[in-house]
Amino acid sequence: MSKPRIGIYGLTGCAGDQLNILNCEDELLKLFDIFEIKSFVMASSAADEESPLDVAFVEGSVSTEKDLEHLKEIRKKSRLLVAIGHCAVFGGVQSMFTGKKWEETYRAVYGKKDAVSLTRPLPPKPLSAYVKVDAVLPGCPIEKEPFLKLAGLLAKGVVPRHPDFPVCAECKWKENECLLLKGEICLGPLTNSGCGAICPSLNIPCIGCWGPIEKENWEAEAFLLKENGFSVEEVVKRFAIFGGEERAEKLKKFLEGKEG
Amino acid sequence: MRLFKIKKSNLFPFLRGLEGFGELWGPVRKGEKVVYARAKPEEFDLKALRTMIPAKKFLLPPKFTSLKFRESRWEDDYRPKRKVVFGLHPCGIHALNIYHRFYTRLYSDPYYERAKEATLIVGLSCVPDEYCFCYATGTSTVNEGFDLFLTDLGDRLLVWVGSPKGEESLKLVGKYLEDVEQKDISDYVAWRKRRDAAFKLKVDLDGMPEIVSFSYDSPVWEKMGKACLSCGTCTMVCPTCTCFDLEDEYDLKRDEMHRQRFWYSCVFREYSMVAGGHNFREARSERLKLWYTHKLVGFMSEYGAPACVGCSRCVVSCPVGINVVSVVRALRNERTAALWTKMEVSDA
Repeated sequence: MSKPRIGIYGLTGCAGDQLNILNCEDELLKLFDIFEIKSFVMASSAADEESPLDVAFVEGSVSTEKDLEHLKEIRKKSRLLVAIGHCAVFGGVQSMFTGKKWEETYRAVYGKKDAVSLTRPLPPKPLSAYVKVDAVLPGCPIEKEPFLKLAGLLAKGVVPRHPDFPVCAECKWKENECLLLKGEICLGPLTNSGCGAICPSLNIPCIGCWGPIEKENWEAEAFLLKENGFSVEEVVKRFAIFGGEERAEKLKKFLEGKEG
Repeated sequence: MRLFKIKKSNLFPFLRGLEGFGELWGPVRKGEKVVYARAKPEEFDLKALRTMIPAKKFLLPPKFTSLKFRESRWEDDYRPKRKVVFGLHPCGIHALNIYHRFYTRLYSDPYYERAKEATLIVGLSCVPDEYCFCYATGTSTVNEGFDLFLTDLGDRLLVWVGSPKGEESLKLVGKYLEDVEQKDISDYVAWRKRRDAAFKLKVDLDGMPEIVSFSYDSPVWEKMGKACLSCGTCTMVCPTCTCFDLEDEYDLKRDEMHRQRFWYSCVFREYSMVAGGHNFREARSERLKLWYTHKLVGFMSEYGAPACVGCSRCVVSCPVGINVVSVVRALRNERTAALWTKMEVSDA
């Protein structure tokens, strides 16, 4: 059997996910052994962009027209496309503003809308807003162990299933005290598992970097946080970090509606 | 059942002696929480009532590798270490009996059986706090399911022997054992009276199977579903929750697939989803109804007792106060101040 051909790419983001792949130092040789790496510009400029790929790993959000073109090219030549990191899967911190607020923020930073001439900016969105995504690995940044497991399954021809249960389960497996009960703004119940509850295990509340579970009960979470004495602003701010503009706006409306 | 006593001053040497069976684990206080941990007897919290996670973790750990396989062969090398688990209270031992029934009655679970074999259960008497309600679930005393059970009478402890394994383990600590006298028995009876009078939380579980069954369409479920975070904490901390899931993980270094078995929860949305994407219990209220029906109705008709042992872990763990006590009270139209009852049900 020939080795699966892969490519590792970055759109708009901090490149932290690609860096964490490079950080798999003990396993890098094994990765090179099981995959034929066609393109990984962060690691080597000798990239082959002509060959078709079995798997493309893409990090970063689509934030410019150039990103979008690049993404479409990658999609065209790849059998499977895997979104890695919060930006690629959910839009990232930058998707805090996507609508009118994005335009205002853009103008405040860059002046006139066409001030940047290299490419045209777009409101930041996840890959799935434009192309078919076959598998995802969230996290900000992605973690080494989950990446290696995902890569391993792909090498075996398995398209990995994304779990859909909150990180609270992993948190309880580790016998952590519940930070919501301790009066913190912990977003654990809304956030997907997979990280192994790293932050709450260190007594740091979850800020949601693995993205939401399906049908999350943000209304109950907001109700609880308000009962615990947090202001609308505090709660919305925390939600907005990894929640995207739409989600934060919905939450704000809900909380303000219950204000009077 | 044989009965001995040991001097209180001999408790630590007695426990150290039992280490001849395996690693010694017991309740250890860590900040505000208590967890079962491997420790010296001097580090155990003898007054602790409920650990964060119950003793089920010794019989089936939260996550473990159940099988390893390559292209053409598989291997099951799960061999739990021999452990002495000290400090289980009657409710906890009742919970283990429920576990035992579940994992051995219809099909024998090999992982459970191995851990059970490797574990020596040493119970310890307790005095209830404001959350305990084991008197209501009929689990405040226990006659089976332990290897040894110690009742603390102040200057001495009575030692019940509950199994051949317990009997065997006494060979390790024979020098501390003394015969009981009539006074020990009368002191024990007086202790029981004092203990039984110490319960503060009033919960009435009488008639719950019918009440839960008849309340199938009660608006209480809908209200509860609105406030439930679906975090799964209730099921992780519940000593009688048995559900698990399996997932294959690839170990790149060893070129092996590892079949991981881990605690799962019926309050998670994916739990009741089947192939094709249909979900039998899409609504949170339906999932909660399942949990409470299982605990208070289904188990009752199958085994003659509820699958709740009154430990109150759900009571102290649910961030919005959905727990056996508040749910039973709500279904009985009794007053409850639980947080979930205060959340307004919107039209959405």
